[in-house]
Amino acid sequence: MRGEMRRRGIGVLVASLVAGLAWGQEVSVYGTTMAQVWKSEVPGFDTKTFTPATQFLGIDATKLGTENLSLHLYGWGTSDLGYVKASGAKADGDLTYGYLDYRFDRANAEIKAGRFAINQGGGFEQVDGVSARTDLRGGFTISAFGGTPVLYRPDDPAASKDYGYQRDLIFGARLGWRWKQVGEFGVSYLQDGKDAAKDLTPAQPVDYTRKQMGADIHLMPTAAVDFSGRTIFDLASHPDTPAGVEKPSDIAEHDYTVRVKLPGQFAVTGNFAERNYYAYFAGTTLPSLFRQDDRDKFRGYGANVSWGAASGLQVVGDYRHTHRETYGDTTQFGGEVRWVPAEKFLTGFGAHRVNATREVVVDPMHPSYSLTHTEARAWAMYGTEKITASADAIVQKYQDKTNPNLNGQAWLYELVASVGYQVMPSLKVSGDLGYGKTALAKNEAKGLLRAEYRFGFGRKGGR
Amino acid sequence: MARKMMFRVFAVVLGLGLLTACGVVSPESSFAATHPQELGAGRPMCSECHGDEVMKGSLKRYGAFDHTPEFVKDHRFLAGQDANSCAVCHAPSFCSDCHGGKVVMKPATKLGDRPDRMSPHRGDYMTLHRFEGKADPSSCFQCHGRANNDKCRVCHQ
Repeated sequence: MRGEMRRRGIGVLVASLVAGLAWGQEVSVYGTTMAQVWKSEVPGFDTKTFTPATQFLGIDATKLGTENLSLHLYGWGTSDLGYVKASGAKADGDLTYGYLDYRFDRANAEIKAGRFAINQGGGFEQVDGVSARTDLRGGFTISAFGGTPVLYRPDDPAASKDYGYQRDLIFGARLGWRWKQVGEFGVSYLQDGKDAAKDLTPAQPVDYTRKQMGADIHLMPTAAVDFSGRTIFDLASHPDTPAGVEKPSDIAEHDYTVRVKLPGQFAVTGNFAERNYYAYFAGTTLPSLFRQDDRDKFRGYGANVSWGAASGLQVVGDYRHTHRETYGDTTQFGGEVRWVPAEKFLTGFGAHRVNATREVVVDPMHPSYSLTHTEARAWAMYGTEKITASADAIVQKYQDKTNPNLNGQAWLYELVASVGYQVMPSLKVSGDLGYGKTALAKNEAKGLLRAEYRFGFGRKGGR
Repeated sequence: MARKMMFRVFAVVLGLGLLTACGVVSPESSFAATHPQELGAGRPMCSECHGDEVMKGSLKRYGAFDHTPEFVKDHRFLAGQDANSCAVCHAPSFCSDCHGGKVVMKPATKLGDRPDRMSPHRGDYMTLHRFEGKADPSSCFQCHGRANNDKCRVCHQ
């Protein structure tokens, strides 16, 4: 019943939004049509060929009766001539967003209604509902949203029977204070679902609801120092901790980064992150994978040094160490180069080494295996007004061929080459060819044809 | 107990903020909806044109939005505070290339002609995820924890 109402609601939403186009003074229609084909050779299995066709479509209409009102729609649909999903379905699609947006002339105030993504403080959510924001005097800013969460039900209905029932509404707010030329501080709240699983009648074993509070900060007191980060608290009501078991922390995440610009176009960046999975994974729709009951903790820190030359050369060296209590330590280091050797030509190179703890398995013959590996990548792009071309190669060399996930292969790679032609200002066609070796497929060849078009009044600036 | 107290304090602060909001709305005119000039290809350095000026919309220095390698990697922080500033140059569909609630193909496939863009899951990620997922599953959770996990569920039931 609820699912039927939701489908009707989305139908009414899309119909209303499309009807709104009639009032649009400036309408942009843009999209990408893709036809893919890929062939996979997996030892011991038949060679398989997949042929999906996908359409992405977006519409932006501005000045809907007034200068300040606009409409934005974006979604995709796909169908496969040969491919069948795990559920048996051969077609799929999604309305990514579809909303009316009213921007006020003052205070950067804005109201959105429809389906939209909300990103404030610690949460990135997709919502069917309403959001509003405005700047206040004294540097304060406030935003809030409310509605129903966009539910992405898994193909298997049995895996989601409590999912929509518990997540009956979503709302949140953020209050920020901006210190001109220095930074911003914010506190935010997010709630998804009214009642925790343990408070329902009867109580449910899996909790899909969330209550979170976040604190975020950005400081740039001088042009040379930039500090940003956030802390997220889990406010959800969890079942009582069994006797003798330590009560987990309510702090879900600390994540902070500081960047210092040095003379000579050098910059040094440091990051620290800590996550408590019991709190951080609250509300997951995949509890079998994102396990709260492990009471696991993660800590990571790293640094990188970058140098950018006026000649279009950018060099980054990075290091990162992570520790997960139930797994162990991992150290990653390497470097990347981006270079513009000539006008219309852009290229990049990178290599990283990852040293990881051995994975322990229950096998007396082979009690552990290593995930240590090295990765290298090189790419280049060239573009004129009419022609574009690019090539991208990535290779991974795993240290331990006895890792059962590698099926005896240590070297894995993928090469992708692309050529495009701008047929007219509003239409570009391009094609990608890819070839690679994966741990599962001995050989994998891929082809993709792409037609990108944009009609009407495009946005200025970027895209 | 402390958790309930924190929630009440937050609710009171928010309520007071809402009650007084109508009288304290900023009189400043709104920031430009779109960047007035066409931007060139590649990652822009806002401070190259704007110097040490303060962006009217966010009250931050333009340099905070320089698209350095670190900014691209850590854009979540400023996007959470300044989504409106992002929208001056980026249409929401730009974000949806990676951050859709339901994504039909991995971003590296969709953007196969744009090797310059930071697209997650390049190459044989099916093999690599067995390592990255063990080292830090919270890096997977951000996109696949509550949505976009139909393909995860095929194996991780």
